[in-house]
Amino acid sequence: MSSSTTRLDAESHALLDEPLLRLPHEMLRKTFKTAQKHYEREQSHAMTTIKEAARSASKRPSNDAATPALKSLDALISRMQGYKRKVEVLHEEEKILHGHTRKRIAHLQDLYKIPSANGLVDPAYDEWSKARLDRLLVDLLLRSGYVDTAKEFVEEKQIGELVDVNVFVQCARIERSLREGKTTAECLAWCTENKQSLRKQKSKLEFELRLQQFIELVRDLRHKDAMAHSKKFLVPHSEAHFDDIKTAAGLLAVLPTTQCPRYQALYSADRWQKLADIFVSTHHSLYGLPQRPLISTALSSGLSALKTPSCHSKVVSSSANSASSTHSLCPICSTELNELAAGTEVPYAHHARSSVKNDPVMLPNGRIYGRDEIELLASKLDLRAGWIRDPTTGEEFEANKMRKVYIM
Amino acid sequence: MDAIEAELTRLTSKSNLSKALTNIDGCLELLQAARNQIAEDPDSAAKTLAMLQQTMNSQLEKVGSDHKDVYTGLNKFGKALDKKFKSASAYHSPRHDNIANKQPELHRAVAMHLMREGHFSVASHLLDEATGAGHPIAVPPSLEEDFRTLYSILDSLSGHDLNPAIEWAHSRAHDLEHRGSNLEFELCRLKFITLFLDALETGPEEAMQFARTEFHRFQQRHFRDCLQLFLAFTYRAGIAGMMTGKNQPKDVVNPAPYPYYNLFQNVEERWENIGKMFTSEYCGLLGLSAESPLFLAVTAGSVALPVLEKLRRITEDKGTEWTSHGELPVEIPLPSPRYHFHSIFVCPVSKGQTTEDNPPMILPCGHVIAKESLDQLAKGNSANAHLKCPYCPKECTLGSAMQVII
Repeated sequence: MSSSTTRLDAESHALLDEPLLRLPHEMLRKTFKTAQKHYEREQSHAMTTIKEAARSASKRPSNDAATPALKSLDALISRMQGYKRKVEVLHEEEKILHGHTRKRIAHLQDLYKIPSANGLVDPAYDEWSKARLDRLLVDLLLRSGYVDTAKEFVEEKQIGELVDVNVFVQCARIERSLREGKTTAECLAWCTENKQSLRKQKSKLEFELRLQQFIELVRDLRHKDAMAHSKKFLVPHSEAHFDDIKTAAGLLAVLPTTQCPRYQALYSADRWQKLADIFVSTHHSLYGLPQRPLISTALSSGLSALKTPSCHSKVVSSSANSASSTHSLCPICSTELNELAAGTEVPYAHHARSSVKNDPVMLPNGRIYGRDEIELLASKLDLRAGWIRDPTTGEEFEANKMRKVYIM
Repeated sequence: MDAIEAELTRLTSKSNLSKALTNIDGCLELLQAARNQIAEDPDSAAKTLAMLQQTMNSQLEKVGSDHKDVYTGLNKFGKALDKKFKSASAYHSPRHDNIANKQPELHRAVAMHLMREGHFSVASHLLDEATGAGHPIAVPPSLEEDFRTLYSILDSLSGHDLNPAIEWAHSRAHDLEHRGSNLEFELCRLKFITLFLDALETGPEEAMQFARTEFHRFQQRHFRDCLQLFLAFTYRAGIAGMMTGKNQPKDVVNPAPYPYYNLFQNVEERWENIGKMFTSEYCGLLGLSAESPLFLAVTAGSVALPVLEKLRRITEDKGTEWTSHGELPVEIPLPSPRYHFHSIFVCPVSKGQTTEDNPPMILPCGHVIAKESLDQLAKGNSANAHLKCPYCPKECTLGSAMQVII
């Protein structure tokens, strides 16, 4: 027998689902940062206003001080109310994110509740794994930009708390503005919003966007504007990107029709695709999202774990084919996955020992089956006594033509 | 996981913006009070404002420390996540994704999975969106119709209506027979059992009529089974008594004093099984596996990934790479038999799996080895080159070995 296990290792299973909790945490941090920014602004504004009001009140004669004091207090009160509303909105967001996190932790806890001994064959694990597949499907749909499909599926499955549609919707919008719209504005706004985190990551996204703006100015032959732009937006990055800036400066002397590969690359429309890729990758790492769709990673390993040399052979295997109801078709042979699993880039599973049906016999056509399987089929078909049928090819043979096979 | 949950509870109960909101209200109250004071007594403006400067400062500092609380809480939560998912990022490495270049095939698998699971509207939405994006997905054109039919029949089955299923099985009787499937008979038998039980109070006419018109088809293949069902009529009264509980058998060791009583037991289970059997046969005839391949593969993948990640770590540490091209270097243990499909043949001589180019060969003595091993064992390469079986004393010629299909 090839090796087999039914033990469920919840710990390593859960590792795969890190983004499930990581993302709401990143969102919470973002909410907090916004709140903190509001606070700092409001605190200093309130204190300066009161200080100023107090100073001017102390300078004025007391009968003249009240009116301006009331005016500035009224202004401050209405501003403070505005501040409060902003914090209320953030608090609501926070509560939603807490709720999502709670649900997700419960979902992962469900996995830990399954007794690990026979966990992999426990119906509860099946159910959990189905829910996981639904989540991974939504992740893939969103990453592929099929937002409406994703939303409909989320609605049908009622899994809104376990997936992050909005994050991807925003990401797809900005990605499209680069890839198709060829505009930098939306993406730059996003950069400003996440300035601190991007700096911490040493991201080159903003520089690349600014460089693109520079290139577009040069393309339009607005050299003066381009130089001003360069001074303002590129030079601050000179420490990290000095060489790029030098090359970009050279662009001023070169027309878009140039044959020089270095400048051709800068003028190329492909740069927008590259920018879109950089944005998506930056976005995902900022939110703790894997670069590749999780389903792709899981599937890649799973295809290999299930794949055998028989799955892409021209000769139909005698086992796990679709010709007989005595066994189910192998999932890798099924139309859904067959092409996906083809090729050497998806290695087949390693087996150290043979595993064949009990009491293997060979029919005259060279096909090997378990004796039980052949006899069961013959009785189900009510064949003439002493005859058998090949479950795969349908050929009929005399039973005494079966030969015993020795598989070591 | 409990540690993470505890940190979350801290966030929801304490470290959130609700306290800041309360203290912002405090700010508003201070401002409002100062305003009222000045409105009432305009001469106090300077004094009130000077006071306000102090009280507001400390009140705003409270708001600031509320923010710090949130910050600390989030940090602790983050640390708990870090601890739990220490090595998670390695799992998400693009290195584990060998199918990154197969987007069309992946999307096709997804679309087919959605149809198989009965999400027709979502699936057709996906096809539309993909076409709109310039990446049309090619699924077999009749697939949706096929699965719609399946689901409508399964719907009837769950409403205990067997007729559509029997009709379908009858129309595909030849193909089903070829697969060695008893589906049609099983459906008819269940129908008979239902009619028999339904009519225990009234009369056997309907069940009898059904048996008369339908069972002749099965006389040859299922003679014994049919006979049992017919003979059950003779024990109708007894079976009826047991069914209604009026006549419970006293003998617990032998709870079925009436022959054929067991035919009518566990009917609920039969209904459940017949649905599964129907799905399996229906998918089989479509040339598809009974369970969603995407589900099986993703589940298998979640079991395999930790093994593959461990392997990657080890090979990286040792600075080596695996060499057997096209085959994983380690075994992935999966539950058997659910995740084991094809028979596997590993050549006992070379210890390698046989492939299309290196198929298994059977020697006249019945031992099987890989073709390459066979060629190496033979003295020479002509058909009458001699070799001795490595597992028994028999000798044979190269030409007498025959390729087998496992």
